[in-house]
Amino acid sequence: MRKYVTMIIAALSLASVAFATESQIWGEMRIQNILGYDKEGSTHLGPLFTMLQHQYFAWIFLGVLIGVPLAFFIHYKIIGPKVFPHSAKKYYAFNLYNRIIHQVAAVSFLVIVPTGFIIVFGDFFGGGTLVRMAKNLHGIFTIPFTIVVIPMALMWLKEALFNLDDIKWFMILGGYLSKEKKPILAGKFNAGQKMWYWVAILGGITMILSGAIMFFLDFKMQMLHDLTGLSQIDLLRAAAIIHNVMGFAVVALFITHVYMSMFAIKGAVQSIITGYVEEEVKILHSTWYKKLKDQGKF
Amino acid sequence: MMSELSKMKFYCDTNRCIECFACSVACAEAHDLPTGISRRKVITLFNGVEGKEISTSIACMHCTDAPCEQVCPVDCFYIREDGIVLHDKNRCIGCGYCLYACPFGAPQFPRDGAFGAKGAMDKCTMCAGGPLETNSVHERELYGQNRIAEGKVPMCASICSTNALLVGDAESVSAIYRKRVVGRGRGA
Ligand code: SF4
Ligand code: SF4
Repeated sequence: MRKYVTMIIAALSLASVAFATESQIWGEMRIQNILGYDKEGSTHLGPLFTMLQHQYFAWIFLGVLIGVPLAFFIHYKIIGPKVFPHSAKKYYAFNLYNRIIHQVAAVSFLVIVPTGFIIVFGDFFGGGTLVRMAKNLHGIFTIPFTIVVIPMALMWLKEALFNLDDIKWFMILGGYLSKEKKPILAGKFNAGQKMWYWVAILGGITMILSGAIMFFLDFKMQMLHDLTGLSQIDLLRAAAIIHNVMGFAVVALFITHVYMSMFAIKGAVQSIITGYVEEEVKILHSTWYKKLKDQGKF
Repeated sequence: MMSELSKMKFYCDTNRCIECFACSVACAEAHDLPTGISRRKVITLFNGVEGKEISTSIACMHCTDAPCEQVCPVDCFYIREDGIVLHDKNRCIGCGYCLYACPFGAPQFPRDGAFGAKGAMDKCTMCAGGPLETNSVHERELYGQNRIAEGKVPMCASICSTNALLVGDAESVSAIYRKRVVGRGRGA
């Protein structure tokens, strides 16, 4: 943990050094940026960002915000939640470390996602203090997520690798389209949870980096320039596009994750709070259950 | 509706600009800009290379169909009848989107608060102030002088000793420029 804190402090102090040097946006580069804007052979990122932000991003976010919960609402009405009896048999699946890391990420997301929506629909909220506060919280709560994202990636990496069970899981969509309670092939994490793992980790890191580029604005990152061949202003445009597009995926799966743990499987959220999973894993994570049973842990 | 030609435009004649920085300094002084913000900037290319050296003065160009206005998530821009592009600093959240959309790198951001977040965007107003009451103390504090309301020419153009920096409705500006090109026989 100390290592991360040091890394963040180092990055911040580096940033202040970079600010002192010639601006990448308002310095001499500005002429090149002006002349290159939308010219043949240029990246066209300026007009592309303008078009996407002007016509699409807010609508797609609105679609995700309404569409995903609506689909789940219909699912809840037609198929309904899966309810499992509380059993005496429990297995301690998430230790304190796992739960703390997860809860830090959870709280971060609970702030980052809604504030993100307030920014996207800033117009609706009238701008000003409220939306500015949302923007600041959006940035501040990135810090705890940044601290836990690598530990979280490492602690669940093994369980999140895809395997053959997952193909079968996807073919029946995890059994969520039927009311039956037939054992479903899945390890500690099913294919859906694995998908969320990768979107939350890789998508999350992408969101952190693209967000940081926009936050620090004029912070020269030579390595990124060399790597991508993009000027600072084009990097910012690319970051804004990536941040929004990746946002669609992260938000859609975040809502899914919340629905699954809070509504679709009654009481599932308890397992990450107490650390204990109950009999329901016999059905929902049958491969894992078998393994635990063979080891005599259940 | 006004025609495209009666929209207010800036033009910097690179054949005349002598890199004296008067426009940039006058602007900063007139509007009491904080350090680090220069609404108008003079940039020289090919410094010292004979025959190639060229200087120009850049600020917000008050675009038709301004891209900044199209991307702002809080919709804080408004475009006046005469084409001057202005924004509402009390609404702005300092997200930076207008800068990414702008072809001219015009929007700038003072850092505010302990976290170094971007403050409300600042850019050239063509000396036309902002949405607050014209020539009020608040307007002046947030946006600088409103010289247009007083019938004056924007500060930068009025101080330009070589008259390189032109401002006015598009038709007059191009008429002056045409006359110059004909006069010196080059520079079109
Ligand atoms: S800020 Fe940029 S995009 Fe907006 S009007 Fe000025 S020059 Fe055009
Ligand atoms: S920085 Fe301000 S003016 Fe620019 S797009 Fe964001 S909210 Fe609008």
